[in-house]
Amino acid sequence: MMRDYLLVYINGQRHEIRGEEAFFSLSDYLRYTRGLTGTKVVCAEGDCGACTIIRGSLRDGREDLHYEGINACITFMHLMDCTHIVTVEGLQDNGSLNPVQQAMIDHHGAQCGFCTPGFICAMSDHANHCAYQSERPVEQLETQRLRNALTGNLCRCTGYAPILNAGESIDLKAFTPLQQRYDTPEMLSDLQAHASHSVQIQTRERLFYAPNNLRDAAEFRVRRPESRIFSSATDMGVLINKEKSDPVVITNLSRIPEAHSLREENGQIVVGARVSLSQLENFCRSRIPEFARLMRIFASPQIKNKGTLVGNIANASPIADTLPFLFVAEAEIELYSTQGTRRVNINRFYTGYKQLDMRPDELISRVYIPMLPKDEILRLYKVSNRKDLDISTFTAAIRLQLDTQRQITGAAIAYGGVGPVVMRLPRTEASLIGCPLDVASFAAAGKLAREEITPISDVRASADYRYQLAENILRKCQAELEEQTSEAVVF
Amino acid sequence: MTTSLPHDSAWGHVTGQSVFIDDRAPLRGELHVGVVGSPIAHGRIKSINLAAAKALPGVAGVFTAADLHHNIWGTIIQDQPLLADQTVNFIGEPLVVIAAEDRETLKIAKRLVKLDLEPLTPILSIGEARQQQQFIAVKRTIQRGDLAAAFASAEHVLEGVFENGGQDHFYLESNCAVVYPGERGNLEVHSSSQHPTEVQHLVAEALGLKQHQVTCIVKRMGGGFGGKESQAAPFAVFAALAAQKLGRPARLVLSKDEDMVMTGKRHPFQTDYKVGFNAEGRIVAAEIHLYSDGGAYADLSTSVLERAMLHSDNAYYLPVALITGQICRTHTPPNTAFRGFGGPQGVAVIEHILEDMAIYLNKDAYAVRRRNCYEGERNTTPYGQVVENNVLPQLFDGLHASADYARRREEIAAFNAASQTQIKGLAMTAVKFGISFTTRFLNQGNALVNLHRDGSFQVSTGATEMGQGVHTKIAQIVAEVFDVPATQVMVMATSTERNHNTSPTAASSGTDINGAAAQLAAEQIRDRLAACVAAHFEQPERGPLEEIELDMVRSHAHIVFEKGEIYHRDQPELRISFEDAVNMAYLNRISLSGYGFFKIPGIGFDKEQGVGTPFRYFTNGVAASEVLIDRFTGELKVLRTDILMDLGRPINEAIDYGQVSGAFVQGMGWVTSENLVMNPEGHLLSHSPTTYKIPNIQDTPRQFNIKLLSNHEAKNVRGSKAVGEPPLLLGLSVWAAVKNALSYANGRQLTGLKIPATAESILRELGAAEAAHAPQPVA
Repeated sequence: MMRDYLLVYINGQRHEIRGEEAFFSLSDYLRYTRGLTGTKVVCAEGDCGACTIIRGSLRDGREDLHYEGINACITFMHLMDCTHIVTVEGLQDNGSLNPVQQAMIDHHGAQCGFCTPGFICAMSDHANHCAYQSERPVEQLETQRLRNALTGNLCRCTGYAPILNAGESIDLKAFTPLQQRYDTPEMLSDLQAHASHSVQIQTRERLFYAPNNLRDAAEFRVRRPESRIFSSATDMGVLINKEKSDPVVITNLSRIPEAHSLREENGQIVVGARVSLSQLENFCRSRIPEFARLMRIFASPQIKNKGTLVGNIANASPIADTLPFLFVAEAEIELYSTQGTRRVNINRFYTGYKQLDMRPDELISRVYIPMLPKDEILRLYKVSNRKDLDISTFTAAIRLQLDTQRQITGAAIAYGGVGPVVMRLPRTEASLIGCPLDVASFAAAGKLAREEITPISDVRASADYRYQLAENILRKCQAELEEQTSEAVVF
Repeated sequence: MTTSLPHDSAWGHVTGQSVFIDDRAPLRGELHVGVVGSPIAHGRIKSINLAAAKALPGVAGVFTAADLHHNIWGTIIQDQPLLADQTVNFIGEPLVVIAAEDRETLKIAKRLVKLDLEPLTPILSIGEARQQQQFIAVKRTIQRGDLAAAFASAEHVLEGVFENGGQDHFYLESNCAVVYPGERGNLEVHSSSQHPTEVQHLVAEALGLKQHQVTCIVKRMGGGFGGKESQAAPFAVFAALAAQKLGRPARLVLSKDEDMVMTGKRHPFQTDYKVGFNAEGRIVAAEIHLYSDGGAYADLSTSVLERAMLHSDNAYYLPVALITGQICRTHTPPNTAFRGFGGPQGVAVIEHILEDMAIYLNKDAYAVRRRNCYEGERNTTPYGQVVENNVLPQLFDGLHASADYARRREEIAAFNAASQTQIKGLAMTAVKFGISFTTRFLNQGNALVNLHRDGSFQVSTGATEMGQGVHTKIAQIVAEVFDVPATQVMVMATSTERNHNTSPTAASSGTDINGAAAQLAAEQIRDRLAACVAAHFEQPERGPLEEIELDMVRSHAHIVFEKGEIYHRDQPELRISFEDAVNMAYLNRISLSGYGFFKIPGIGFDKEQGVGTPFRYFTNGVAASEVLIDRFTGELKVLRTDILMDLGRPINEAIDYGQVSGAFVQGMGWVTSENLVMNPEGHLLSHSPTTYKIPNIQDTPRQFNIKLLSNHEAKNVRGSKAVGEPPLLLGLSVWAAVKNALSYANGRQLTGLKIPATAESILRELGAAEAAHAPQPVA
């Protein structure tokens, strides 16, 4: 069945959204259509969190909704189909403040107040997760996890200390889970019934199409080759807000059930096109811990809850944080079209700056990530001007195989931010074969790495710094292996 | 009464109910107003073609300089056009104002404005401006003692050039205003401004109105930090221009990118210095020549520079000193007030010098600082003000002990000797911040207190609320006068209708000035109530023709206000509830309003001679920070910060704690990750949080201890001390700790580390150290 409207619940209220409004940003819709002005917009690029709202969505294996914080400024109403949006206005519990709100008052967590609704939403989402949604509910918020949960929210007034004090004081037993508060059987069955529909919304200027199977998606690609696939718009949203792009034919894969699939199969992790980075981070925590660790500093929770691995791959940025790992892991991209499917090794997928080995009629349906043997060494690095929630200056993945004498028998090294695409360093890799894990070998490899890259100077760093990092990261890897330390300890 | 009453807007903030400018529901016919700015840093305006923009359906009006009644402004020196008319002097300089029916149309219309500009060569750095002698205003000097003789007697001399970068305010609410046209040409302006009086005056002047025709109202700001002291006003004028010309409500809301490109920032400085000292590390003479980057127009630069000069000593006695200051004119947005107002730049220089002296003498930098700290007879600043009630030695010694400085110093040395991957540093810096506007006439304020018949108060002052809690503190001050709960006092939106000729809420003085004025106003009411109650106690019963006549000559000290009641000190059984007393006063036709006027006494500074007592008092503090640096990437983490401050007797300790914590982290951002990057054409490349990195919740010190010294000597309102700006300067302890860490890596060589100490610049210094210490081939 095809429908011509979006179904969205906002603070428990049902809305059918048609026409132009389907193309509004979520924040504009909330503020200017619904008058819910608690949601603030500051940067309009997902980097400050003032627009944080909590999105509840259907998820396999759950009877109620899965709630998580996202940025409202860089998402669009058409991406909100079949979700429940909870804004700061919807967080009071039967007219009284929820424990997060009360703690933020008691501990002076708000000063000017402009970032506060975003913090309230992000902290309430975290509280909801820790008190109810998590596999291991707890009664108190732990400081470092609280910091991680609030990484996507900037405050310029408080210096964060009062906000942390507030968070640490909350008694989660007093927190009513959003699911208990809002998830009525009527709302759940309404959302479920609508989730299997395809959606098409046509206005004078724009077309949105969300097919409910891959075949239709592929046919649409043939019919409308100018169409843009919006995964979660964490990048497109920024480009549109900053008037750098204005696609008029938009398609989205979220109504396709298999796109949401994430599983381990034949020694590979199989990631569907709609799997969020948060889901992947959780999934990898026990399977590829080093990748999960890097994902912790990848971006804010709000971005990771929205953004997908496939989106990160398709966006083709030379500083996309997942790519160096996928390169050394020899991940494969599955491309789907009306002609059938084909798989491309990610090392051959990028042919130039933002250029992909992908035809206009193809779409990325899955990613296959081979699991790494346990005895291999994997080190992932991201250097940025600010450690958290920053776009990388330089990224690196180093994968080493050792023999019983701890001599290197295999090396895969991929760098990002040092050329138009993420690149492997074949000469540097070869130079390490047969070497021990010693200073001299890695210092020499570092010098060689400089010769294989072509970084530029930009707003984030000079080319010189990137050359130096390309050299140093190998030395750092060696020193950490020797000291048996990891930067995860403090950084 | 040192309580931690919640912020008066806290409930609204956490529920999303607080109303900021753009949260106001649009009125019928309201227009969206935007600004087109210059795309080049310097050029001559040949023509502006508005035809296409005007022809676009949905465009209601397009305006240029010619549409303004008066087109020149400046808070101190009037040198800046509101809308550029002959030349453009920075990228983003406003040229055209457009009013449209909706946001989408406004966006398109902006792109349709055709500018024909003849590019001229821009000056984009202090260095270029100095070379071409492009200065704003005159050079200023503060001098004490015989410099030549002092340097001749010095055992050691260090000289160099020190540079600090700018800093964007990054208030979350970008500049905005909404203007409602009223009867008889009047305008009601709602602005996100720290200075409603200036907005009122500028709107009136620019549009040819009398000041009494314009009301400016500031409910609250989503952050200010100095960025909305002067620079909020032009944007209010642009909205007012559309409202006046079109007779319709008009709203202007900048995007973050527009705001960052168009508005001025903290001043970058380049400073030439020379310091003479003896073998113990005691300074005998200092020569400091400050050059600030004023940007294209004067704005507040002269006052900012003055404060930088007045803080070049910081907490340290300079027996002989020459301090000069000059503002450079560049083709960048006019730099402006930013929390600290030049103080941080002046203090950075002397803290840099002291850190370098320690490295040079191979001494612990704490010992060097302590040796130079104002103490005993060594208590007169280079400009002649005596440092009274000096707690600096007490602060230094107290924090040295409580932060466990000596033990940690040893641990750090051991760590650095052992670790191949990381390096640590530790430093303690101080702040001695002068409180008062250095421009004397600004140190005045007025307040209106209205007592309603149910015993609740409305208080109005010139203080604007930007999150700092000034309204909460004022409510507490007024409540304390009557000893009623502070929740009975509401501080109203700041409006030029109720309080006129006000000063900006700036210079950390919001509570000092406006709180004192409110206290005076409240005391007038209290004195009348006391007289009324005294008369009532003397004659409880009165006939219908009798009315209480106030005797304001007699003392009514025996009338006590306590916990919502009023009673006779010597006959406590004579008592009346506060509400009954208020109602009785009303029925006896006694005024229940107070108007207070306050000016800060005992201050004055001769700007020409560089001598005087510019400050009523100093707010002092010290901080010790420990940092960890990745030797391979230069990345930095602050492990621990301990702060000890003297804030007198705080009116609201939790608010003061929040000011210290917030200001420190903001200062830390300035000296570490906040990097304004400009391209060779003068385009700011870091104009949004994607590229401009203010501290995030992961960046705050892993251990963060803030303590206040108990001090009852403060002569300010309620024995409190100003807190807004001073702790920002303690962020410099992080920067000094980076210098300290580098000194372990490079065998105690001096480095060229600047502000900000980005990861890249730290790695550059580490690389230089490594190159210098590489094993030399044996011949």
